Amino acid sequence: VNVIATETFDPTIVDMTAVVPDCVVDCSIDELDFGRMYEDNLSLLVAIAMRKFQVPEADAEGLAHEVFYSYLKRKNEIRDLHPWLIGAICHASRYFWRQNSRRTEQLDHSWATLLPDPASAAILDLLPAQLAAREILESLPPRYQEILRLRYYEGYSIREIADYLGVTAKYTQKLMAKCLRRAEQVYNAAPARKKS
Amino acid sequence: MNHSDDLRHLADCASCRQRFSENVLPFDVARRREGARAFAAAAVQMERERENAADIVERQLRQISIEEWPSLAESPALRNNAALEQMSEEVRKRIERKPVEALAIANLAASIAESLPANAYPPEVMAQIRSTALRDRANALRYLGRLAEAFDSIETAESRLGDFPGASHDRAIIWMVKAMIQGQMDLFEEAEQMITSASIIFADVNDLSRFFQAGLVYGNLLGRQKRYDDAQRIFRDLLGVATSTGDEETQARLYNNLGHCAVYLDDYAGANIHFSESIARFTDLGLLAEVPRTNLGAALVLIGKGQVDSGLARLEDARRAFIALSMMGEAGLCALRIIEVLIDRGDTEQARALTGIVIDEFEAAGLDTRAVQAVASLQSSIDADGATGDAVRTVHEFVQRLAADQDQAS
Repeated sequence: VNVIATETFDPTIVDMTAVVPDCVVDCSIDELDFGRMYEDNLSLLVAIAMRKFQVPEADAEGLAHEVFYSYLKRKNEIRDLHPWLIGAICHASRYFWRQNSRRTEQLDHSWATLLPDPASAAILDLLPAQLAAREILESLPPRYQEILRLRYYEGYSIREIADYLGVTAKYTQKLMAKCLRRAEQVYNAAPARKKS
Repeated sequence: MNHSDDLRHLADCASCRQRFSENVLPFDVARRREGARAFAAAAVQMERERENAADIVERQLRQISIEEWPSLAESPALRNNAALEQMSEEVRKRIERKPVEALAIANLAASIAESLPANAYPPEVMAQIRSTALRDRANALRYLGRLAEAFDSIETAESRLGDFPGASHDRAIIWMVKAMIQGQMDLFEEAEQMITSASIIFADVNDLSRFFQAGLVYGNLLGRQKRYDDAQRIFRDLLGVATSTGDEETQARLYNNLGHCAVYLDDYAGANIHFSESIARFTDLGLLAEVPRTNLGAALVLIGKGQVDSGLARLEDARRAFIALSMMGEAGLCALRIIEVLIDRGDTEQARALTGIVIDEFEAAGLDTRAVQAVASLQSSIDADGATGDAVRTVHEFVQRLAADQDQAS
C-alpha cells in the first residue's frame, strides 16, 4: 500500500536533490582528456574571475581550480560544460567577494587599469547617478551609511547584515526600508532634483 | 557591450572564449601543468572508483538487516566516493516511501564521509563528499519531521563548504534543502531568501531540473502562506520555461499546481482546465499513477472549497483509475474520502454500500486485517447511528498510518 501525500499545498513536489543523470555518461577514463579540459578552460575561468569580478590573479586561479574539482563530483549530471563552468566561476567569484569584502582595498587596481572591464564602457552614463548616490549616502547618519554600504556596495544579504549588527533579519529589513526612505527624502529635498 | 564579453555568448562561442581569455593570465607554465596534472589524477581516481564500484552498496545493504547497517562503515569497499554516491542514490530512492531506511543509509554515509582520511581526495572534493552526506541526512530527517536535527545537519553540511567558493552548485543544492526545512519550520522569510539564491545558481549553471524543483519549492512556500497569486505567477513563469524546453513532466506538475492555486483563488473553471492539462500530460507520458493522484489532490481542494459535486466526480475518477492500476490501498483510501463526503451529505445508504465494497476489496487484496476491521467498525457505526465525517476521517488516518507502517516494514 502506498501512502498518498495530500496534506501539503503542492502535492507534486518530489524530492530530486540527487537528480538522476539524464545525459550520456562518457565512461572512458583518460587522464589526458581531463588534463586537456583543464588546460583548455583554465584561462577562460581565470579571465572571467579577474576581468568581470576583479578577483586578484592568485585568488582567481585558486577559484578556477576549485571549480574544476567541483566539476568532478557533478560531472555526470552536467549537460553542457561551458555554461556550467562559466556559471560556476561567476558564483565562485561572488562568494569570494562576500567572504573577503573587508579586503577590498587589496584589489590589484593595476590590472583594472591595464585591462578595463568592458562594463566600464557605459561609465559616463552611469556616473551622474553614482555621484548622486554617493552624495546622498554621505549626507546620511553614519549608521544608515554603514547599512546601505553593506547592502548595496558590498553585497551582503539581509541575514548577513543582521548577524553583523547583532539584530534579527526582520528588524534589519525594517531598518533597510527606513534607510532607503531617508535616502529618498534627501534625494527629493535637493533643489536641483526637485525641479526635474 | 562587445559581444565577446557577454558571458552567455561566451558559453556558446569557442572563438570568443579564446579572445576573452587572451592576455589575461601571465602564465606560469610549470604551475599550470601541475594544476592540470593534479586535477587529472583526481579525476581518474574518481572515475576508476565509479567503474569498480558496480552495485556494491545495494548488495551490501541487502545482505544484512537495517540494525546492522552501521557496521558497514568499516567495510573497505564502501569507504570511497563512488560508494558514497551510490548511498546518496539509495537515500533518494527510499526517501519518500521508506524514510527510516533512507535515514539509516544517510547516517552510514555521513559516518563514512566524516571519517575518511583528509588526504583521500583533494580538499575541495572532500568537502563536497562530506557536505553531500550531511545534506542527505538532513533531508531524511526532514521527511521524518525531525526538523531541529535536520536544520543542524544542513547547517553543518553548509559549513563543510564554507572555505570553498568554487562549490557553488553543491551549495545551491544545500540551500534548496535548507529552504524546504525552513519552510516546514514556518520560517518563510528565510526560506524564500534561501530558495531564491539557490534558483539563481541553478539557472546560471544550466541545471534545469533543479531550477524547476526550486521553483516548485518556492511556489509551495508561497502557497503555504496563502499567497496564491504570487504562487500562480511563479508557476506560470516556470510553465513558460518548461514549455520552451519541451519538459512535459514538469509541465504536468506545474499545471497541477496551477490548478490548486486556481481553486484557492475561487477560479474553478480555470482550475478544471489546469487539472485536465496536467492529467493529459501525465497520460501521454505513461505516468498513469500520477493521473489518479492528480485527481485526488484536485478533489480534496475542491471539496475543501465547497465544490462538492465537482470534487466527488474527481474522487470517483481517481478511485476507478487506482483500481484499474491494481493499487487497492490507494483505491480504498480514495473510497474512504468518498464515504466521508456521502456521510456529510446525509447519503448514508450509499456510504454503507461503499464500505462493504471496500471491505471486500481490502480482503481480496490481502491488506492488513486491522484495516479491514477498521472499515468494518465504520460500517457498524453507520448502521447504528449514521456515523460522522470525523469518524470516517479517523478511519482514513488509521488505514493510512497502517499503510505507511507496512510500507516501511516491507
